[in-house]
Amino acid sequence: MTSLDPLPLSGRQPRAVRSALAVLEEVVAAGPGVTAKEISAALKLPQATTYRLLNLLVGEEYLVRLPDLRGFALGRRAARLALPVDLRPPAAARAVVEHLRGLVRWGVHLASYRTGQVTLVDRDQDHPPSDDVVLARPPPASALGLLLHADQPDWRAVTRDLRPLTELSVTDPSELDARIKVVAADDLARQCGQVRADRGCLAVPVRDPASGTLVAGLALCGPAHRVAEPNDELIRLLREHAERLVPLLA
Amino acid sequence: MRHGALAGLRHRSPVHGLDRRHLGPLEVLAQSVSSAAPAAAMAVAPVIAATTAGSGTVWSFVVAMAVALLIGSCIGRFTSRMAVAGSLYSLTARGLGPAAAFTSGVALLVGYGVLVMGALTGAALYVDALLGRVGLSLPGVPVAAAVVLGVLMTAGVLARVRLSARVVLLVETISISLMVVVFVVLLSVTPALPAAVPAAPSPGLGGIAAGVLPALSAFIGFEAATALGVEARRPFRTIPRVVMWTAGVAGVLYLFATFTQVAGFAGTSAGLAAVAEPVPALAVALGQPWLATVLDVGIAMSFAACALATLNALVRVVFSMARDGIAPAALGATHPRRHVPHVAIAVVVPVVVLVPVGLLAAGGPAPRVLADLLTISTVGYLVAYLLVCLAAPFFLRRIGELTAVPVVITAVLVPVLLVVLVAYVVSAWGGLIPAVVGILVLAGVAWLAWLRWKRPDRLAAIGVYDETVTADVLGAGS
Repeated sequence: MTSLDPLPLSGRQPRAVRSALAVLEEVVAAGPGVTAKEISAALKLPQATTYRLLNLLVGEEYLVRLPDLRGFALGRRAARLALPVDLRPPAAARAVVEHLRGLVRWGVHLASYRTGQVTLVDRDQDHPPSDDVVLARPPPASALGLLLHADQPDWRAVTRDLRPLTELSVTDPSELDARIKVVAADDLARQCGQVRADRGCLAVPVRDPASGTLVAGLALCGPAHRVAEPNDELIRLLREHAERLVPLLA
Repeated sequence: MRHGALAGLRHRSPVHGLDRRHLGPLEVLAQSVSSAAPAAAMAVAPVIAATTAGSGTVWSFVVAMAVALLIGSCIGRFTSRMAVAGSLYSLTARGLGPAAAFTSGVALLVGYGVLVMGALTGAALYVDALLGRVGLSLPGVPVAAAVVLGVLMTAGVLARVRLSARVVLLVETISISLMVVVFVVLLSVTPALPAAVPAAPSPGLGGIAAGVLPALSAFIGFEAATALGVEARRPFRTIPRVVMWTAGVAGVLYLFATFTQVAGFAGTSAGLAAVAEPVPALAVALGQPWLATVLDVGIAMSFAACALATLNALVRVVFSMARDGIAPAALGATHPRRHVPHVAIAVVVPVVVLVPVGLLAAGGPAPRVLADLLTISTVGYLVAYLLVCLAAPFFLRRIGELTAVPVVITAVLVPVLLVVLVAYVVSAWGGLIPAVVGILVLAGVAWLAWLRWKRPDRLAAIGVYDETVTADVLGAGS
C-alpha cells in the first residue's frame, strides 16, 4: 500500500490536488486516447505541470498510457473511485436482443447509459462494433452517442471538441445542434459513415416509463448506404424490441 | 477519444512470462546499488582519480555525481512512462529508432556482460587476498573462488527474482555497512584534517576534469534497476526514483571515502595519488591493521552482489532482444514457475563465468585482468548512456510531451559524455584493449548487417516494453 505523507497540505498543494483531479476528470470526459497536450489545452494548465500530473497519476496507476505512449485512459485502479455498478443486462433482456439478431442480418448492440456514458453491455459477436462505439464516451458521431447527447439539457456540457473521424463527420456545432434536435424529436438516431466511412447505425432509446430517464440504447449497425435508406420495417422491429426491453431494464 | 484508441491494446504484454509487478522499492534499489558496487569503488576509485586530480579529487567526484544524476534524469523521462526489461536498449528504441537501439543493445551486452566477468574476477581476487591474510596462500585460490562464486551466482539468478533481489539486498547492505565502519574508523583516527596541513599544490581545472573520468566509471551500473521495470510493483514511480537515489547514495559514499583518503594522506608529501592500495596502507599507518581484513570482506561481498545484480540485468536484455526477434526466439522463453528467462540464463552464464575463470587459469595477474575487464565494460556503458541521453528529448517529442528542461539537459550532457567516452577510450588504448574493442565492434556490425538482410521487419520494430494491456484499462475488457 502507498504510505501517505502525514504532513498537512501547505502552500500550493491544494491547487495541485485540484489540478490532478481535473486531469482525471478530463481523461474521463475526453475518453481513452486523449493526449497530454490536449488535456493541457482543455484545462488551461501549463504543459510541464500537466505532464508532471499525468506521470504522477500514471505512477499511481489511476491512469494508464496506451501502447502508443501518447494517449491516456483510465487505469483499473480508478474503478476504486466509483461505486461498483453492475451493468450486465438480465438474461431475459439478452434473450430479447438475441431474438432481434435472429431477425436481421446486421449487427445488434445494446448499450447502457446508467453511468452517464455509453457502455456496451451486449455486443454482437458476429458483427463487432467499430472501436468508437466501444469507448467510454464517444463523440456525438455514433448513433448511440447521439441518443445520449439528445437526452442532455445542453449537449455542449458533455462534448467539448468535435474532432472529425471521417470526412462525413459533423464538426460544426450549430449543424450538430440541429441534428441532435432531430434525434430528440424522432426518438431515433441515425448516422451514416460518420464513425467509419463504410458503416452506419440506427439506434433507439430505452426509457424508464415512470421518469422518462434514458437507461439504454439499442443499435442496429450495417453498411452505410443501407442505413441511409428509410428502413421503415427495420426501425419498426428495432422499436418493438426496445419496447420489450423496457420492463427488463428500466 | 480517438478512432481506434483502444484497438491497439493487446490481451497480454509482449514481455509476458516475467514475474510482473512483484518487487518492492527496496528490492529494486538493491539491484541498482549493487550493480554500481559502491563498496568496491569506495576503496579503489578515489586513488585512480587522485593521480590527476590530486587534492581536487573530491571535486572530480562532485562533477561525476552531477553527471550521473543528469543521466539518471534522462533515463527517468522514459521510465516514468514505460516499463521495460531490456534496460537502456529498450528505452533508446523509443527515442532514436532501430540502429541506435541496436548499438545500445550491443553496448549493454558488452557493458553488463564484461562487468559480470570483472565483478567475478574482483570477488575472487579479494577472497584470495582475504585467505592470504589468514595464512592460506595457495596458487589456485582465485580460479577456485571464481568457479564457486559463478555457481552461487547461477543459483541466485535462477531463483525467483524476488529471492534473488533479497539476497542482493542483504549482501549489499552488509558490504556497505562494513565499508562505512572502515571509513568512519579511519576518519576518526586521522590525526589532522587537511585544513591543518600545508595545502598540496592545486591540481587545476584540467586535473579535476581528468579525474572525472575514473570518478564517473565508479557510478556505472546505477541504472540497472531499469531492467526490473516489468517486475517492479509500481514501476513508473519506483524505477526513476531508484535510479536517482542510487546515483545520490553512491555519490555520497564516494565523497565520504574520497574525503577520508585525501585527508588521511594529506600529511604525506605526494598525497593520495602516490599509494597503490590506499585504504589498507592508511589502516596500517593509523595503527588499525584489522581494518584491512574487514575491507577485503566488504569488497568481496560488493563484487559478488554486483555480479549477481548485473547478471540479472544482462539476461533481461538478452530476453528482450529475443522477444524483439533480433536474437534467437528461444532466448525469450521464461520458466513457467520461476518466471525468469531461464534459456537466456543457460546461454549467458557459461560465457560470463568461463571467460574470467579462463583468464585467471591462463595465469593473467588478477588485478590486471580486473582492470582490463572494467575498462571494456565502462566503454560499453558510456556508449549506452550517451545514446539514452540523446534519445530522451526525441522520445518526448514523439509522444508530444517535450519541454525545455530535457532539451537543455541533453544539450549539456551529450557533449560531456562524448568527450568522456573519447577520452576514456584514448586513455585506455593499449595492450589487448584495441583488439577486443575492434572484435566487439566488428561482431556488432556483422550482426546488424545480417539483421538488415534477413529480418529488416523485426529490426524496424525493436523495443518491446510492458505495454498497457486490455486488463489494465478500465472499461476496455469485457
